[in-house]
Amino acid sequence: MEGFLNLILEPVNEVYLKFKGFFPNLLAMLTIIIIGVIVAWLVKAVLLKFFKAIKFDSWCDRMGFTALLRKADVWAKPADIFVVAVYWFMIIGFLMVGFSALNIQAIDSLVSEFFLYLPRAFSAVVILLIGYMVAGFLSRAVLIAAVNSGLHYAKLLAEAVRLLLTVLILAMALEQLKVAPSIVVAAFSIIFGGIVIALAISFGVAGIGAARRMIESGGEEKKEERGEVEHV
Amino acid sequence: MADKADIVVGIPSYNNAKTIGHVVRAVDAGLAKYFPDKKAVIVNSDGGSKDGTSEVIKNAAIDHNALLIQHPLSMAHRITTPYHGTPGKGSAIRTVFQMAVDMGASACAIVDSDLRSITPEWIELLISPVLKEGNDFVAPLYDRHKFDGTITNSIVYPMTRAFYGKRIRQPIGGEFGFSGKLAEFYLKQDVWGTDVARFGIDIWMTTEAIANDFRVCQAFLGAKIHDPKDPGSDLSEMLVQVVSSLFDLTEKHSDKWKEVKGSIDVPTFGFRYHVGLEHVKVNVERMLGIFREGQSNLKGIWLDVIGSGDLGEVLVLGAQSDQDFRFPLKLWTRIIYDYAIAYHKKKLPPQHLIKSLVPLYLGKTASFVMEVEEMDKDGAEAEIEKLCMEFEANKAYLVNSWK
Repeated sequence: MEGFLNLILEPVNEVYLKFKGFFPNLLAMLTIIIIGVIVAWLVKAVLLKFFKAIKFDSWCDRMGFTALLRKADVWAKPADIFVVAVYWFMIIGFLMVGFSALNIQAIDSLVSEFFLYLPRAFSAVVILLIGYMVAGFLSRAVLIAAVNSGLHYAKLLAEAVRLLLTVLILAMALEQLKVAPSIVVAAFSIIFGGIVIALAISFGVAGIGAARRMIESGGEEKKEERGEVEHV
Repeated sequence: MADKADIVVGIPSYNNAKTIGHVVRAVDAGLAKYFPDKKAVIVNSDGGSKDGTSEVIKNAAIDHNALLIQHPLSMAHRITTPYHGTPGKGSAIRTVFQMAVDMGASACAIVDSDLRSITPEWIELLISPVLKEGNDFVAPLYDRHKFDGTITNSIVYPMTRAFYGKRIRQPIGGEFGFSGKLAEFYLKQDVWGTDVARFGIDIWMTTEAIANDFRVCQAFLGAKIHDPKDPGSDLSEMLVQVVSSLFDLTEKHSDKWKEVKGSIDVPTFGFRYHVGLEHVKVNVERMLGIFREGQSNLKGIWLDVIGSGDLGEVLVLGAQSDQDFRFPLKLWTRIIYDYAIAYHKKKLPPQHLIKSLVPLYLGKTASFVMEVEEMDKDGAEAEIEKLCMEFEANKAYLVNSWK
């Protein structure tokens, strides 16, 4: 009978001992998460005030970020979006740190993978942000230069430049994230090459006359400019 | 220690072998004829010419007897010196300032090296107002074709005049006279690592002289004919150089120009006469074409800069036929002031901002050309005067928006 009781009590005791050993870890996890939520909330409040003070939203308006968000049907203020992103990033970070306090091998490896992936995710975000600014800058430069040269397809040209750069930037970001890199590189090569060939063929086939006129009139315009008004 | 000189004449150059000989001879003759008792030095500040410019200067000789001029006490010395620092006309002129200060010169002049119409009288007209009348700065006044100098006529002159209250007709002329005191002042300014060293030296010299209350005047030099500019030189780049220099100075002197109201004439030296000028071809149709391209494609940028009200007026303009196309002076004035505000508030990168002004500027120029086509030179000048009055009348708008 005693042996039978031992058979029942031993696993219970073992579970109790394991729980007793595990409880501090659980407590540590909960504490980390609670502190994390409080810290994230405080950072969110401070950041909101800071962005308001430096007029971050107006800056985003000027840089064209707000317009980009509106195009994507996002109607929140840029400062709010940025602060919420930081908040959730911190929450996820604290959750991961909290989980690692459990000392469970499977979770530990998941957490370490998450943190190892962070630099890649960060680089991808930086590539996207810088890429967006560069694409906007170059596209606007092309638009203005084309208009000032009197080209009828200025907007088309500017949009083509923006499209090509966007494809390039997206491919770079995905490559950085290591999301199916071989497919990304192949898809990028096909799309980028396709666009260039399509432009070349369409201009070459449909625009032979236009190209001839442009080359001819370009020479004439230069000759004509010699006799033109002196601006300064 | 450099030798002393009473007069320093600077000639900045870069590959001007074809024309600089004539310029040096004219300067030499001018100094000998009008200032025979003064010790003079001609300084050629060269940007590293490879076409033999310096040899041409050394060999450019004049026969004083043939010119029927009094023999000078001493011949004008000629110095060719490479300038240092940022490549550009500004750095070349800085070297002239430095030499003028080192030599203790009382009066100086700068003349371009590509001039074909310079005569010895130009030297007298640029130097005498300083030496004999006590002026510090002499701006040039040229007889120009009514279609020429459109950036000057539609932006630089009206704005400089409205801002600083002095009617200097050619603020970016290229030739100047100035006192040794002003050369010393210029030299002390901390601008030689900025765009002033590359371009924008002309408007900088004029504006600094007016804004810092130096005695300014202008001298009528006749027609200005120089080597044809590079046909490939881009209007957008030209506009960026001139307008960004103008706006930078507006930024710098904002405390001064806000107080100025109206404008006054400055003393003008020299005998005014009209010169028969070559006909200038203007392709109005092409200008209006670019204006309309801008209207279709740059609406977004213009809306940010000039606001919806003025953009509406610009869009209405585009609907007019070529013959009826007229750019209202008030609208143009507000547009330029809005661009100055946008530049001040850094709404766009400076290059993009000013290049986006090109179609509007061409629209304004086309309108001006059509308006004054049948007018004589005085009629065209009266139209420019109307625009200047508009700039002065609307200045309060800029002052109130400048925060």
